Amino acid sequence: MFRKTIIFILCLLLAPVLTYAADEIWFGAALSLTGKLAKEGNLVKNGYELWKETVNKKGGIKINGKAYIVNIKIYDDESDPNRGAKLVEKLVTEDKIKLILGPYGSESVFATSAITEKYGALMVQGGAAADKLYSRGFKNLFGIYTVATDYMNDTLEMLKNKNPKPQTVAIVYSNDLFSAQVAQGAKVSAEKLGYKVVFYQDYPKGTQDLSTVIVQIKAKKPDIILGCGHFQDTIIIIKQAKDYKVNPKAIAFSVGPTLPDFVDSLKADSEYVLGSAQWTQTLKYKDQVFGSNQAFVKAYKAKYNEDPNYHSAGGTSAGVIFQRAIEKAGTKDDIDKIREALYNFNEETLYGRIKFDKTGKVIGKGMPVIQIQKGTQKTVYPEDVAELKVVYPKPQWK
Amino acid sequence: MTIVQILVNGLLLGAFYALIGVGFSLVWGVTNILNLAHGAIALLGAYITFYMFQNWHIDPFLTIPVSFIATFLFGYALQRYVMNRIVKAQILMLLILTFGLEIFLVNFMTTFFSADFRSVTPVYAGNSLMLGDIVIPYIRLAVFGICVILCVSMGIFLDKTWRGKAIKATSLDIEAAMMTGISPAKIYALTFALGSGLAGVCGTLLTLTQSFSPNIAGGLTLRAFIVSILGGLGRIEGALIGGLLLGVLETSSSYFIGESYKNAIAFGLMVIVLIVKPSGLMGRKYYAEVKH
Repeated sequence: MFRKTIIFILCLLLAPVLTYAADEIWFGAALSLTGKLAKEGNLVKNGYELWKETVNKKGGIKINGKAYIVNIKIYDDESDPNRGAKLVEKLVTEDKIKLILGPYGSESVFATSAITEKYGALMVQGGAAADKLYSRGFKNLFGIYTVATDYMNDTLEMLKNKNPKPQTVAIVYSNDLFSAQVAQGAKVSAEKLGYKVVFYQDYPKGTQDLSTVIVQIKAKKPDIILGCGHFQDTIIIIKQAKDYKVNPKAIAFSVGPTLPDFVDSLKADSEYVLGSAQWTQTLKYKDQVFGSNQAFVKAYKAKYNEDPNYHSAGGTSAGVIFQRAIEKAGTKDDIDKIREALYNFNEETLYGRIKFDKTGKVIGKGMPVIQIQKGTQKTVYPEDVAELKVVYPKPQWK
Repeated sequence: MTIVQILVNGLLLGAFYALIGVGFSLVWGVTNILNLAHGAIALLGAYITFYMFQNWHIDPFLTIPVSFIATFLFGYALQRYVMNRIVKAQILMLLILTFGLEIFLVNFMTTFFSADFRSVTPVYAGNSLMLGDIVIPYIRLAVFGICVILCVSMGIFLDKTWRGKAIKATSLDIEAAMMTGISPAKIYALTFALGSGLAGVCGTLLTLTQSFSPNIAGGLTLRAFIVSILGGLGRIEGALIGGLLLGVLETSSSYFIGESYKNAIAFGLMVIVLIVKPSGLMGRKYYAEVKH
């Protein structure tokens, strides 16, 4: 009897190990499930789990005709990049997982990707947009967010051939790292597209009054105003532009209009303002795993009972891209082959058409442009996947 | 023309700074309390206005009395039952207490109202008076008017009424004031209540021209601090002039030198005033004497 019990217990203890050995692929992630980035971290996690569930429902990842069930080992980095780095080290060295899904936030990706690089593990991330991630000569990091310096390209591209043709651009930006990079990129891109940049100035982060800047912009009579800053700055710029009767043909922001609070705070004054988005719910992209972006949105709503945003969609897309690369490489263990498949990746996903350059940075994906129309954010660019036509020129303030 | 517009903007902004500075300066001058929670108290007024506008669509200007009374009572209770207990303690203790209060209020507001940036946009926002090329937004003009009227009435209150004179007397010589039957505890409470009430009104006016979240409390206190130093402690006309000066300095320096330098320039001016005329531009040896 005693012996039987022992054997039974041993079987119980061995069960997970035995399952582990079955046909599975393990992915790892260290995410901010608590701490100051908990909100975004959990959204990314939702994205990963929806991907896992969907793949497994379809039988798993297929490699050379054989299906493997997806598993994800997730640790909580408590919103601390250093802790994230230690956890990724643990994932790679102790848990023997070499396929790492990225954390949320540029700092965290910066720290953890150094670890994956060191141990020759691969990371695909859909949670960070800093340019500096890709200037370190890494070959094992792939990111799907359009980087800061490319944030305003599509807005400028969209407006380029509108009628009446806009000629001049005013750029104002908050003097923090991210916004400064967005502004720098916007300036380069505007000049390349043939606009004249008539005003280019920064303001202190967290400022409460921009009347002087607005008055100076007014004197230049620009056709387009680009604001690269934070949510509160966009509110001040809109309010004061209206106060001082500054009426450009278009106003666009890098951050702000995509948030629901934007319309709540500005009411009718938010109408026809343009914003850049990494991804929107209404984009009509196809996807090899979900079928289409719309199908992803539907599945997300069904599972979590809320609308997905670009954080969650980024998480899911990172999974999808990883999966497609593995399937194309025809191996789950040969990192070199999977990396090669990522470098050669060129496929439409729910996040857009994804290609990577030699640094692992996404190229040509673009930032969908949204415009507030009748109090809601509508996708107006790229035109072939847009919901509505852009309203241009923006009507004067009432 | 742009430069005239910028000076006008500076004056409009400056009146707001004056009002936020008046209450702070009065409290500092009379009770010797550097109220680090001044900005947070102002934001209480802002949230009162925001919620009355959001839920009942009450015009922000009509909520001025509500935020005044609410923050007045809050300030009175705070001074009477908390601050008065340690008002004789060292300045450091008072700093710690008001700093703690600031942290408490900011976290309280973050918990109840969230850290999101808010803004109130009534239908008439954005209408402006046009004087040739000069644009004067009506809301800013109204805010300017209210700030000036409140500062002036505060001055009249201090000069003409019994309680106002009692405040000045207490500030001047607390022992002599006591001999004439003034209760310093009550006068301190009244002073702090007035300071808080004016801060509350500032909060209401803030909602109309800016966006706000609990985190901007420190920035407001800092402006009040600079205005008090510039104008001289406890002096109403000092705060008014200090505020207008700060407003014009901010807008013109951001025009001539660059927006990013405006904070540095405001601080620079404050340091110069402290070195050249420590009692402030309007300060006489009257209110701001060290009493302990």
